Amino acid sequence: MSVAAPEFTLASVSGGSLRLAELQADAPTLLLFVSEECPTCTLTLRRLAPVLPELVAAGLTVAAVFEDPLEVAARVARRTGFTATVLSEPAPYEVSRAYELVSLPTAVLVDRSGQQISRVVGWDSEALAELLSVSLSDEAPRRKPGCAAKNTYDADSLRALDSGGFDELEEMFERGWTDGLPVIPPTPARVETMLGGHDPGELLGEMPPAMAQVTLERVAACAVLAGCRPEYFPVLVAAVQASLEPAFNVGGQAVTTQPVGQVVVVNGPVRDAIGLNGSTGALGPGWRANMTIGRALRLVISLTGGGFPGRLDRSALGNPGKIGLCFAEDGEVTTWEPLHVERGHDAGRSVVTVLGADAPLSVSDHRSTSPDELARVLGEAAAATWSPNWWPLGGTSLFVLCPEHARSFAEWGWSKQRLREAMFEGVRRPAASLRWGETTPQVLAASDDQLIPKWSAPEDIVIVVAGGEAGRFSAVFGPCLGMEAEPISKEVPWIT
Amino acid sequence: MDYVSTEDYVSPFDERRRTAEPLAPRPAALDGARVALLDINQRRGDEFLDRIEELLQARGATTERFVKQIFSKPAAPEIVRRIANRGDLVVEGLAD
Repeated sequence: MSVAAPEFTLASVSGGSLRLAELQADAPTLLLFVSEECPTCTLTLRRLAPVLPELVAAGLTVAAVFEDPLEVAARVARRTGFTATVLSEPAPYEVSRAYELVSLPTAVLVDRSGQQISRVVGWDSEALAELLSVSLSDEAPRRKPGCAAKNTYDADSLRALDSGGFDELEEMFERGWTDGLPVIPPTPARVETMLGGHDPGELLGEMPPAMAQVTLERVAACAVLAGCRPEYFPVLVAAVQASLEPAFNVGGQAVTTQPVGQVVVVNGPVRDAIGLNGSTGALGPGWRANMTIGRALRLVISLTGGGFPGRLDRSALGNPGKIGLCFAEDGEVTTWEPLHVERGHDAGRSVVTVLGADAPLSVSDHRSTSPDELARVLGEAAAATWSPNWWPLGGTSLFVLCPEHARSFAEWGWSKQRLREAMFEGVRRPAASLRWGETTPQVLAASDDQLIPKWSAPEDIVIVVAGGEAGRFSAVFGPCLGMEAEPISKEVPWIT
Repeated sequence: MDYVSTEDYVSPFDERRRTAEPLAPRPAALDGARVALLDINQRRGDEFLDRIEELLQARGATTERFVKQIFSKPAAPEIVRRIANRGDLVVEGLAD
């Protein structure tokens, strides 16, 4: 056999494309035509992988030509340990046709002058050892026929092969780079775009429980996985920075048996700049920025930080907010100071506040006619959070007031602080009524008629405004207790 | 021929390999051992350690009690240092 090897240009998993002439570079070359779908091909790749260094040392160029998409070729090469050049041939497999392939695997040896001098079809350890002048494993099977080469398929069969990006998405599940939902594969190009020129190696801190180094690159990888757009990235960075503050105790939150998740509240101009929702359905689905920023923070905690549910995250039940929960405050509904201003930031700054919290509980009130009444309804809704008997909570309750409730308070002349104090004063129980089941040391130590408040101080009540114009439905989040986990605010480091 | 990377994705993980810390040698006997009892400050952990302390002392061990500030955070470095300097063994009381 001495036939000229047809020239080709094929995509390489290492980036760009390669021509046969470049590949050869005046060296004898082994072209190994394979496909993921052929078990004999993966067997051949695995059996040849250990001798690749020897072949290279002998001056041979080796390239696997996959009749599969690039990402599939990369995955199979990684799994089989095949570290030589990996190329991908697209349908309708004209290169395979030019080489007159009938079945896979087919190993074609091309000499330095570009002539095909020999080929081995299927797995044949003896024939391949002779072709390549190496020792191959004696392990059974020593011979195994392969599968039909895809260039031999008819048009209908070829169309049936078109699986789109499914394999790449499955690859992410196989790697465990997911929260259980499909993710966007973090290719170097996507991560670079997400970084927007910022230093990938910049270290934000160490994330427990794995004490993993949280670099901007890893945060960007999580942002890509979660589906963030690059303009969301600085908001995520601020959320990660806030979470890494020791006073947030993300390590405790990440591994506890509590259901706690991390709620991200965003204030300032970045809200409109990136389309964060603080209006209708603010705590639910429908807005990409909300869904993906919250999700990306959770991926940083659960993947990078190692707090993955069922492994080091021992949360007994979890809560849907642990998928991710991010929303914007609607600071324009009232003249109340928005959260970031209350926490000492200029109104014009963009600020992210993270809070450890359980799931939100909706509070409906369409009939109250005074601020005292409405404050009591809202406050009493928190009475059963954590436990009906756990007074005081010793932690933070996050209230999200819908615009109609917030506007009513404002029209009645109440400030956020007055509402906070009214709830603190109004939600109390006699100690004797709380002395059953599990209760707090304060309740046990108090006299029977001593009134125990639900919160230790008004400052434990955090109030933000968000939600749709119509509907008098507010919400209170269950607290995160036993962590000394304080809400933490960070300014968004840049806006694109 | 260049060997190509098949790592076509950026990992979200810290991929540094860490070597496992070897376990300290197990003591042959408790008689004369100095045992640090670390209460993580979770409720009823002290009751558990009270009983452990009785049993250890009955076997000739000397005990010393330490208490973390809060169960959900790592022990203060000073506590870790004192335990390391003054104890042969440590028992941590996890409870709820």
